[in-house]
Amino acid sequence: MKRLGLLLLFLYATSGFCQTAEAQVSLVKSRLDSIESFLADIKLHVDISFIKMPDKEAQASFKKGEDVIITSQDFVLIPKRGLDLSFSELFEYPFMAIDRGKIEGQSGSLLSISILPSDTKADFSVANLHIDTQKQRITWAEINTKKDGTYTLQLSYPDSKAVLPTTLDVSFEMDRIRIPLNFAGSDVAIDRKKMRKTDQKTGKITLTLKYRSIEKTE
Amino acid sequence: MMRLLYIETYKLFRQSRTYYAILGLLFIEAIVLLSAYYQGTEIIDIVLANLKDTFYFQGNLINGSLIIYFILNSFWFHVPLLCMIIVSGMLTTEYEEKTLQTVFMQPVVKWKYLLAKYIVASLFTVLLVLMLALTSFVLSYGIFGKGDLVVYTNGLTFFEHDDAFYRLVYAFLFGSLSLVFFSVVSLTFAVLFKESFKTWIVAALFLIVSTLLLKVDLGNEVWNQIAFFKLNNTWQYFFNGNIDWKAITINSVLLGFYTLVTMLVGLFIFQKKDIG
Repeated sequence: MKRLGLLLLFLYATSGFCQTAEAQVSLVKSRLDSIESFLADIKLHVDISFIKMPDKEAQASFKKGEDVIITSQDFVLIPKRGLDLSFSELFEYPFMAIDRGKIEGQSGSLLSISILPSDTKADFSVANLHIDTQKQRITWAEINTKKDGTYTLQLSYPDSKAVLPTTLDVSFEMDRIRIPLNFAGSDVAIDRKKMRKTDQKTGKITLTLKYRSIEKTE
Repeated sequence: MMRLLYIETYKLFRQSRTYYAILGLLFIEAIVLLSAYYQGTEIIDIVLANLKDTFYFQGNLINGSLIIYFILNSFWFHVPLLCMIIVSGMLTTEYEEKTLQTVFMQPVVKWKYLLAKYIVASLFTVLLVLMLALTSFVLSYGIFGKGDLVVYTNGLTFFEHDDAFYRLVYAFLFGSLSLVFFSVVSLTFAVLFKESFKTWIVAALFLIVSTLLLKVDLGNEVWNQIAFFKLNNTWQYFFNGNIDWKAITINSVLLGFYTLVTMLVGLFIFQKKDIG
């Protein structure tokens, strides 16, 4: 009887955790779903060792159900992944949310959750999220895609109520650029050993967003 | 001296080869413009191929700034070669047509005569660069418009239009120093070899060897810094992230020194040598 009691207690506890994780994700999702559209001025800062680029300005517009559109007068590099501020990609198909426990973040206690899609159509295999349970928003995400490798997002918000971030760091893995030698300048010293060693690089793009308008449903 | 300068300028512009060379220069420019117009996108696609997996590109990189940069790359070989052919011809034709002997029947000081040729050759080279710069800026920006410049120097470096514009202007200015050096060298070769074909071959060989040696490591930092062939791409320094003005100034002074020494050697030999 005692054993049965312990088993029931364990099952209750684990199911409770699962519910908590899914409930948290659900809360975050419903907040993100409340964003109907937004328009923002963005500043892009490229931090990739083999690319030197001045900070660029652009405009971002988003409508629910569509991808973020970025336009600019200048030449800008726009990361293929990481601009989905509504995280619709994660929640498009049925998924399982697994509680990975609490962790300490800069803004207090965060809940670490893994999202596993239960539908093979999903574009990612696993996503790890850090959710601020009090403010009900994602502060960090690591998304393992099926086609485009892994990328991580670090999101910073202006205040405790904001749903959308004002700073977004998108980190990703990328191949080192290989230029055909006849395109290289005459004074370009090619260190082949070094090039081989540094084939795979991590790049980061920091986006600073200044929202002109945000339309939300209550 | 002024009269000698005037006469040399007059003779230079009376030579048909001068105009052929100018046309040749414009032809090279036209080829670069046409190839950029038809194949520019492909070139940029190759350069940025690896980035396409990670990024979308917004904006156009095939623009006036990039085309001018392509034209500037002809500074390595084509433009010096043309300059050397025209400039050496200023003296070799006089040897071959025996007009030199006629000139020295007049009370003309030999070294002053050659010095006038050196000065006119240098001014003509600067004029060629100016013409190349002006036409390339007008045509490139006129046809392809403004935009950011992307260059590859141990990684991709992007420059905003205004920044790119002034770097390109400076690159033309400092590139002309290298061209003046090659022109002076070719005139000195003309003093030594007297015959057009011999001079052209030696001048072309000098240019080829100089270009090849540009990439050779001399194993010593000082030699790598001061060897003349290491100075001819100083204009490329303007396409590093931060412009190293100190290095550019040192290189320019050194190149000026080499030009002056080559000129003095030419003057000395010409003064001593029999003109016959």
